[in-house]
Amino acid sequence: MDRIKDFFSTFLLIELLKGMAVTGRYMFARKITIQFPEERTPMSPRFRGLHALRRYPNGEERCIACKLCETICPALAINIELAQRDDGSRRTTRYDIDLTKCIFCGFCEESCPVDAIVETRIFDYHGESRGDLLYTKDKLLAVGDKNEEQIAKDKAADARYR
Amino acid sequence: MANEVIFHSIHLPESWKLENYLKTGGYDALKKVIAEKIPAEEIIAQVKTSALRGRGGAGFPTGLKWSFMPRQFPGDKYVVCNTDEGEPGTFKDKDIVRFNPHQLIEGMIIAGYTLGATAGYNYIHGEIFECYERFEAALDEARAANLLGKNILGSGWDFDIHAHHGYGAYVCGEETALLESIEGKKGQPRFKPPFPASFGLYGKPTTINNTETLASIPYIVKHGGQKFLELGKPNNGGTKIFSVSGHVNKPGNYEIGMGTPFKDLLEMAGGVRDGHKLKAVIPGGSSVPVVPAEIMMDLTMDYDSIAKAGSMLGAGSVIVMDETVCMVKALERLSYFYFEESCGQCTPCREGTGWLYRVVQRIEHGEGRQEDLDLLDSVAGNIMGRTICALGDAAAMPVQGMLKHYRDEFEYHSKHKKCMVSGV
Amino acid sequence: MANIEMDGKALSVPDGSTVIDAADAAGIYIPRFCYHKKLSVAANCRMCLVEVEKAPKLLPACATPVMEGMKVQTRSPKALAAQKAVMEFMLINHPLDCPICDQGGECQLQDLAVGYGKGGSRYQEEKRVVLNKNIGPLISTDMTRCIHCTRCVRFGQEIGGIMEMGQIGRGEHSEITPFLGHAVSSELSGNMIDLCPVGALTSKPFRYKARSWELKHTASVAPHDSLGSNIEIHSKNGTVLRVVPRENEEINQCWLSDRDRFAYEGLAAKDRLRRPMIKQNDVWRECDWQYALDFAVHALQALKEKHGAQQVGALATPQATVEELFLLQKVMRGMGSDNVDFRLRQSDFSADAGLQGAPWLGMAVAEVSKLDSVLLVGTNLRADHPLLALRLRQAAKHGARVSLLNPLDDDLFMPLAAKAIVSPAAMAETLDQVRRVLAGETVSGDAQKIAANLQQGESKAVLLGNLAQHHPQFSELHSLAQQIAAACGAKLGFLGESANSVGGYLAGALPAAGGLNAGAMLNNAPKATILLGVEPEGDTYNPAQAMAALRSADLVVALSAYKSPTLLKSADVLLPIAPFSETSGTFVSTEGRVQSFAAAVKPLGEARPAWKVLRVLGNLLALDGFDYDSSEQVRDVALTGAVSVKLNNTLKTLKPLSKVTHGALQRVGDVSAYHADAIVRRATSLQTSHAAANNARMNGALLSSLGLCEGVLIKVSQGEGSAELKAARDDKLPDACVRVAAGSAATATLGGLFDEIKVERA
Repeated sequence: MDRIKDFFSTFLLIELLKGMAVTGRYMFARKITIQFPEERTPMSPRFRGLHALRRYPNGEERCIACKLCETICPALAINIELAQRDDGSRRTTRYDIDLTKCIFCGFCEESCPVDAIVETRIFDYHGESRGDLLYTKDKLLAVGDKNEEQIAKDKAADARYR
Repeated sequence: MANEVIFHSIHLPESWKLENYLKTGGYDALKKVIAEKIPAEEIIAQVKTSALRGRGGAGFPTGLKWSFMPRQFPGDKYVVCNTDEGEPGTFKDKDIVRFNPHQLIEGMIIAGYTLGATAGYNYIHGEIFECYERFEAALDEARAANLLGKNILGSGWDFDIHAHHGYGAYVCGEETALLESIEGKKGQPRFKPPFPASFGLYGKPTTINNTETLASIPYIVKHGGQKFLELGKPNNGGTKIFSVSGHVNKPGNYEIGMGTPFKDLLEMAGGVRDGHKLKAVIPGGSSVPVVPAEIMMDLTMDYDSIAKAGSMLGAGSVIVMDETVCMVKALERLSYFYFEESCGQCTPCREGTGWLYRVVQRIEHGEGRQEDLDLLDSVAGNIMGRTICALGDAAAMPVQGMLKHYRDEFEYHSKHKKCMVSGV
Repeated sequence: MANIEMDGKALSVPDGSTVIDAADAAGIYIPRFCYHKKLSVAANCRMCLVEVEKAPKLLPACATPVMEGMKVQTRSPKALAAQKAVMEFMLINHPLDCPICDQGGECQLQDLAVGYGKGGSRYQEEKRVVLNKNIGPLISTDMTRCIHCTRCVRFGQEIGGIMEMGQIGRGEHSEITPFLGHAVSSELSGNMIDLCPVGALTSKPFRYKARSWELKHTASVAPHDSLGSNIEIHSKNGTVLRVVPRENEEINQCWLSDRDRFAYEGLAAKDRLRRPMIKQNDVWRECDWQYALDFAVHALQALKEKHGAQQVGALATPQATVEELFLLQKVMRGMGSDNVDFRLRQSDFSADAGLQGAPWLGMAVAEVSKLDSVLLVGTNLRADHPLLALRLRQAAKHGARVSLLNPLDDDLFMPLAAKAIVSPAAMAETLDQVRRVLAGETVSGDAQKIAANLQQGESKAVLLGNLAQHHPQFSELHSLAQQIAAACGAKLGFLGESANSVGGYLAGALPAAGGLNAGAMLNNAPKATILLGVEPEGDTYNPAQAMAALRSADLVVALSAYKSPTLLKSADVLLPIAPFSETSGTFVSTEGRVQSFAAAVKPLGEARPAWKVLRVLGNLLALDGFDYDSSEQVRDVALTGAVSVKLNNTLKTLKPLSKVTHGALQRVGDVSAYHADAIVRRATSLQTSHAAANNARMNGALLSSLGLCEGVLIKVSQGEGSAELKAARDDKLPDACVRVAAGSAATATLGGLFDEIKVERA
């Protein structure tokens, strides 16, 4: 039975017609091309873009230097050094993410017990030299400070699945 | 049969004085033992015959306990009396020491003689200081009369008793915690084995008995084990002091024969307070499961009968509750006691008692959840049987008992956020 | 042997062992918190509950002895349910702060919670909070994490000899606390960090430094006493971050002294020497190795030409490795000089000629625990040999008679059968009394008692401690101890002073025939002197004299890990060498155990292992036989043949007792525990934990006769040197003795450890 089907479809060009039908359908459909960067596609709150370090509303950094992100990072992109701050709390003295190493798997975000390291929606960052892609603690905190509103919204949207 | 064994001299004014005790045949038993040089085996056999069981709560046969003592073992051995009566609902030992200290002393001396002990200690609860002083006074009287100390009654045998008072910790009523406390350490139960009979006070063989148990000994020696047994019923010999408290007209201590129906005891205590009806009874002190009225009215007051009803005779502390009692409130009070009194040594009791109390408290205050009842049951079950001493079990049993018989009240509390009994 | 069945496996276990022992031996893991093999059984955590056939309740495996025919189920549904229930109770009040807890990653509770805990908690109430206690600069507390296993309490009672932690309060309110807010001061306190199964007690110097899993572990040997404790150095990125014990039942068991545990802080001291330095026209400047070595070699050769080989000498610290000491003496002997020594704090060398081998403990360390009777002569045991003190304490607990002949009477936390506390000058005489009693004479006093104790028991020892070895009459004490040991059938032993006190002898780093010994060199230094890791102000018998001697030398080449102020004053060339953590090497412990170790981290800066420096020095001096490629090669040459035959405490010729004259007051100069060597002197936490050691202590009678009182500032002086110290009262000291500990900067200006001392109001 299959053989007969194959036989007819070879010379009746059914596949070709099928393909053309798809082309035709899209020719008249609404176009989805967007004019980046003026226009942007919608994004999931779980989008894993540039990293950021967050702060609490009172300005205190969230990160407690537990090193779980450093430990879980499969690309060994995170480098943390820590010390006891004068008030006795456990804080990082260095928090580097080498974005050239990072594979954006999101494990760091996943492992963070205090939601300090997050991946934002930002994907169109750049650097003019390789070193620019080594994000230090200050840079990461700055990214966090700038985008806190969006980050908080995304976290809230995803909260019930976590 | 009432007041036959221990409170036989209670009618006399100042019954605690040596002269009054002697008037009622006091120290006859000791004199008989000394004069006739009754062998220790004979005394132990009599105690076994009497079916005297430990009056402190566990109900362990005293004769058997005494036979564990390595009497031939060289060196110091001790007899310790446990008057660390701290359980809610229990107030019998206090009255024994208050009204008849000499009978206790006589019992301890005979025990010391029988067990080959070199010294006796009486550990008196810290909250009944008056009793401690009275006992010390009685000891002085006995020493002055050569009933105690060096060369007792000219027999050439030395034995002395020291009174020791605690500071009110409930856990020190546990025998090994009591020993630790006498040694001057923190009152925490020891892990058993080794049992005190082989490694007790200061590491020496030690026998620990309840006040009432020891106070019953003179009677047994004087009248024979059989007579004592006949005061009660088989396997539950003698009379027992029941401390009746709660919603009765005449709360107090009642010494009656073992096996007396509960109905009679309730009657002696004047019945449930007027205009109310019996709801439930805790038959053996705060640590035993509660028994609802309808079951209780058919029971007799002895170890076996109460055990059959799923509870325990304990120290004979009968807490009577009428229908105005909210069981959630009652349990809150009970679990608070165990929460406060846990010694903190082993994990399930240290952490579990606080957990139980907080959950019951939450239910009582209208913040309970439906799943709390199962949680309570499960936490109590997790404590049960997994602790070093019996305090963990004591904390868990009331919870389980209450939930078994009065689950509806707890459910009502969690569901309606108010009390089923009082309506608020 | 009892035959039992566990989880279906038939086992045969020794009688009297517990179920948990049997399970451990059979490789069956029973979860536990409070149980520790070296501590008594408490059975309070209830984690190890197992089901035993015919037992009505579950039984704790740690406290249940095995019985013939016992059937144990460790993972039956009933047992598992109990273990999980206990875990739940354990966790309800435990803070879930693992992310900031230093124990995270090596936490018993964390590990077991994975196996026995639940994903969520049923406990909705508020958690308990317990205030932290400040128990000193070594141990950091987070008492809310405590699970009340009482291991720390039992450690104090049973091992440390002093109960420094206890449990107060009842039920949920019970907490573990030091007494009345005291800091913990035991010399073994750090072990509580290891014992704590949770993060309640953690290391303060290590606090928030790193995670346990990112540390590199290197097996090594502790260099601060002669026991040769096995340690593990934990490092990260080339920095030593902590030191923990490596279990060795024959040496340190599972313990470690605080000195060995926390001294690592000194390895990263600010004054570490990173580059070679030379002094030209009294100005120090850094230079490269080539220049510094050329400078040193030329100067050495020039001075040798000018003054002869007799004016060349070398001094080394007994903390140096066998390889270093061997190469140093080889350099010296290659240059034709016999002036080499490592016994810097010894003052009496007159027994040298009679020595037949390297003085050692005289027995294995493990035997110390089994002694029946022991006489300790001249030792500050807990400070100098903390773990030997621990072993003796255990022996004493099992009935050993410990006697003490000492100029000081610090509490040893063990019962002493007899003691004679006499001034240093009277020590030899008292020891002679003991000898005379054993020879049948009768004398009065303590000696009689000591002798009586030595006459009892099977296994006996006479042990000479550091104070005896530093004593001006050391050879007499040695002779007497030898006679006493022979008279009562005891072993004679030396509690070696430093990590390589035995190794120095084996490496030949002491004058053989006619050379100058340390005492002579430190009195009148050779024109050209090489120092290997020596800090004259703290490492010598007479620091004032040593510093003067070195300053008078024409050339001092110092191989040192540190830029210490005195070296800057006295040396001409400073060559940076690596401390033990940065070099491979070998120590021979006091029991004659040869232990080699590898470097844990790379040398700091341009520092190099001293054996390499000495090898190059040998090459540059054009000496033969300096073609070693590895420290192992050096070791194999240095320690040829069996070590045991080279150990010998017996003197060929005994020295008779001499009459000594001494001044009005005599110094008792013990070396304070945390100033014993260059590294530990720089360990900041240890220094702050025992800052008060710099006192001049004397008994009340002496204080009042001098018109002083406790706490006043006084001036103590020996010869030219003097120091201002606080007077302190110690009524246990003998009359006419002033105890001024050596080793610290405050006392570096003073003279000999047991010489005359003058005291006046400052």
